[in-house]
Amino acid sequence: MDTLLTADLAASSPAYMRRTSTYVDAIHSLPEKESMAPAQLYSTESGRLFHSGRIVIATVGLPARGKTHISVALARYLRWLGVKTHVFHLGDYRRAHVGQKDQIPVDYFFANASESSVVLRNQITKKCREDIFKFLYQENGQIAIYDAVNPLASGRRALAKEFEKQNVQTLFIETACTDEKIIEENVRSVKISSPDYIGWDPEDAVQDYLKRIAARIPHYESMEESELHYVKMINAGERVIVNNCSFGYLSQRIVFYLLNLHIKSRQTYFVRAGTSRDEDSFKNDASLSPEGEDYARKMSDTLLTHRESERQNLIRHGAPESTALKPLTIWTSTRRRTIETSEYLANLGYKVRQRSQMSALNPGVCEKMSERRIRQEYPEEVAKHELDPYHHRYPRAESYHDLAVRLEPIILELEREQNDLLIIAHESVLRVLYGYLMACSATDIPSLSFPRDEIIEVIPASYNNSAKRIHIPGLPHKIIPGSPEDIRIPVPDSMVGSRIGSGTVSPMSGLGTPAGCSTPPSESGGEAGGMVKLRMKGAGVGPSAAAGSLVDPAAETKP
Amino acid sequence: MPPPTTDQPQANVEQYRPELNRAPQGDFMRPASRSRAHSNAKTNGVGVQVEETRICVVMVGLPARGKSLIAQKVVRYLGWLSITAKCFNVGNYRRTSTPQPSAAFFDTSNKEGERLRMAAAEAAVKDMCNWFRKPDNLIAILDATNSTKARRRWIKDRCDAEGIETLFVESKCDDEELIMANIKEVKTTSPDYKGQDPEEAARDFRERIRMYERVYETLDEDEADMTYCKIIDVGSQVIINRIQDYLQSRVVYYLMNLHIKPRSIWISRHGESMYNLSGQIGGDANLSSRGEQYAKLLPEMVKKSAGDLPLTVWTSTLKRTAQTARYLPYEKLSWKALDELDSGVCDGLTYAEIEAQYPQDFKARDEDKYNYRYLGGESYRDVVIRLEPIIMELERSENILIVTHQAVLRCIYAYFMGSSQEQSPWMEVPLHCLIKLTPRAYKTEEERMFADVPAVSTWRGKGTKAEHAPTPAQSVAPSPMIKPEIKVT
Repeated sequence: MDTLLTADLAASSPAYMRRTSTYVDAIHSLPEKESMAPAQLYSTESGRLFHSGRIVIATVGLPARGKTHISVALARYLRWLGVKTHVFHLGDYRRAHVGQKDQIPVDYFFANASESSVVLRNQITKKCREDIFKFLYQENGQIAIYDAVNPLASGRRALAKEFEKQNVQTLFIETACTDEKIIEENVRSVKISSPDYIGWDPEDAVQDYLKRIAARIPHYESMEESELHYVKMINAGERVIVNNCSFGYLSQRIVFYLLNLHIKSRQTYFVRAGTSRDEDSFKNDASLSPEGEDYARKMSDTLLTHRESERQNLIRHGAPESTALKPLTIWTSTRRRTIETSEYLANLGYKVRQRSQMSALNPGVCEKMSERRIRQEYPEEVAKHELDPYHHRYPRAESYHDLAVRLEPIILELEREQNDLLIIAHESVLRVLYGYLMACSATDIPSLSFPRDEIIEVIPASYNNSAKRIHIPGLPHKIIPGSPEDIRIPVPDSMVGSRIGSGTVSPMSGLGTPAGCSTPPSESGGEAGGMVKLRMKGAGVGPSAAAGSLVDPAAETKP
Repeated sequence: MPPPTTDQPQANVEQYRPELNRAPQGDFMRPASRSRAHSNAKTNGVGVQVEETRICVVMVGLPARGKSLIAQKVVRYLGWLSITAKCFNVGNYRRTSTPQPSAAFFDTSNKEGERLRMAAAEAAVKDMCNWFRKPDNLIAILDATNSTKARRRWIKDRCDAEGIETLFVESKCDDEELIMANIKEVKTTSPDYKGQDPEEAARDFRERIRMYERVYETLDEDEADMTYCKIIDVGSQVIINRIQDYLQSRVVYYLMNLHIKPRSIWISRHGESMYNLSGQIGGDANLSSRGEQYAKLLPEMVKKSAGDLPLTVWTSTLKRTAQTARYLPYEKLSWKALDELDSGVCDGLTYAEIEAQYPQDFKARDEDKYNYRYLGGESYRDVVIRLEPIIMELERSENILIVTHQAVLRCIYAYFMGSSQEQSPWMEVPLHCLIKLTPRAYKTEEERMFADVPAVSTWRGKGTKAEHAPTPAQSVAPSPMIKPEIKVT
């Protein structure tokens, strides 16, 4: 979390929260019960994987270098692999301890701070570290990400020593920038949205913010400690220096992920492909039907209108007239209907890339079968499927887990992409990619729904992502819900209902079906309150306004 | 990989359709296959131009820094993951004109030597560019010292002109001991010194290294625009500059896990189990009494082969491997990922029962064993994907003894020996046999040791009847597929 200014964004407790809808990024919640993560290949009794032991990843870097972004993104990826990971933002603990920034002593970050500030600092870090140990030792955690500035070599050495005593490896990740432009852009896009800077000229705000960092954290030493395990990312991943990191499979895997990460933010839009001429879908690669073409046009127009209004919005908030949005790139699968859905935009000059890994979940023997017929012919398989819709494979079919594993390259490319991204794909692929970006649990992913009359936009933010729906007007009703080419693998209604009712299986209401959800908003709201739990006592901060202003409130409640 | 496009009408769903058996395989990391205007390959009839990612991995480093070893390993690793890769060794091109040059040939003031070496590089790059014309060919490794900035810039310009990405990989190492070990190996295995007095060869080779050291330029700020990965002192520090895409990051990830220290890997199946006796597959059975005998003999066999080398033993989580390893006096780790291929509904059946109950499956499996996935279980391809952490960990480790199962052993063996996907699922690995693999610069050496304990054979040939091969006389003869370098019985 930002160390100085945006405290209000995380006024929530540093403890674990439960989210209430799949529209909220679950990266800061811990799953209620142990279950296999979306791309987890196997599980072990200890809950730890790859014989890699327990690891603390400590960030190093001045504010506005993308530390929080990296912490959260890394946690997202590791959890996706099934590694139990949690992020501990020291800033959250500081705010929980001393309240808003006004109460932080001026010399809080100084190397030669006064005695009282040092005591305060120690109290706060102690609390945070206690929680880390508790997570690693009592809650079977494997990786704790300690998001803090860690500016001094001496402090880092002490930290590594302290963890070593507890048999925990420490891996430092430093984000360094030699390019002022990157820092300024990061400040502009992330930091000055703070209420402190309302009404400021953006340039002045950036300069003011940078001055405040320099004043508050005057001592900073870049990592050179050759005996420590560290990764130094320079200029948003342009160059990466990896020092003494071959101590375990996971450490190398983390570096691999970091090689694909950048710290710039961009939007991702998800849409379905248009309906095709041949309703028998999987094997036949049919062209779009007239309705499908109509859909492609309307979807494209809606998206472009939306983006233009975003741009106008920026200008209204003080950005110069010449402000341009990030270029838009389109990814489709290699199936004809997704490519043809993108053609309208391609003709307008947008870049389209086909990704063969993004083809739909293979339905196996269930292809072209109605739900009723599947139930008749494969009652045993249906029963198994209902128990575990994420991992179960119908005969000769792919499971969502198979799909997730095959989408790994896409996920890393997704992290790598710098442009705004429109993904046109089959619903099964959208579910998995959305599930990654919003940290959905394996139980939720198969039941996410992407009706055709909506563009789902995932808005990235360093602390957590949020999702928003953009309505596509004027579509015929019959193409909106589950499309004819949909794979009819049944996710029985009965089951969804029971899950919501009992609340024992999943704390989520409405199961995050992004729209058309079966639960009325009022009910989901009521249940949400009850479901938000705090596992950790002592922090003494309520769950109120979790990540409040980052999430578009409309996103959650829009009917 | 495009999904299958068989247009067979959907007639009888009760019948398994073998063409679908190969379909639902996750393609782990292979990028979209390429089609170029002149290749006429169109993915789906609408003239789609799919992503083009072609990478030339350019090795950089003084002689005896393990470049060829790394290059070979990368090719095998990528091949194992179904990515077509090929190594172009400039030395091989040079040897056609100068088979056994002395160190003076490598002196930069030797104009004729310079000319010939440049010509070899030209020829290698030209062949490489031709090789890339085939759409499936994705990654080439250019194995040479490439020790000057001028040479590297020339390669980059050549590749840029062809639309091929370059990834420079420098192995920079000043560890005398390691260099000496490499020199020792090179002088005995390199074609340049074949048939020469080893002492003379070592002296000449050191002289050659000195020639290169004079002009050697490490990758630095002048080349900040290039994509490179600089591995210093066997990975104690790695500098990675301007990685362009996923596939490059994947190669770099693999390189970071490699080390070039000499070591060996021992692999064995578990001792004969009760299920082996009854001919059943899968399960979690105990060892038979003969299997138990093998377990007792194993420590001695390992000791004989490995001497006093420090070893770590890896087993699966199934009882039969733990029981086989229990008398070994080394540290042991058990890995879920080493568990036997999951045969789904066929778990616990004999081949004859499978043939009777799932005749279509039985046949389909013979047709494409690598991609065949048991109903509710796994295929060899699935096993390869789940073995990825094991392979990475294996690359990072030194001497390891793995006690595992037939299918898993085949996959690990295929990784080290570069066996093809058609062959590896059919490889014969008898019970009660310890295999030693030693990776060398130009190939992996294999040695097999058989315990004097009879066991049933669990090997079933392609297209043969649903029973295991007959018991006797199998134990000493290696399968025809495998040509061991050295055999010890």
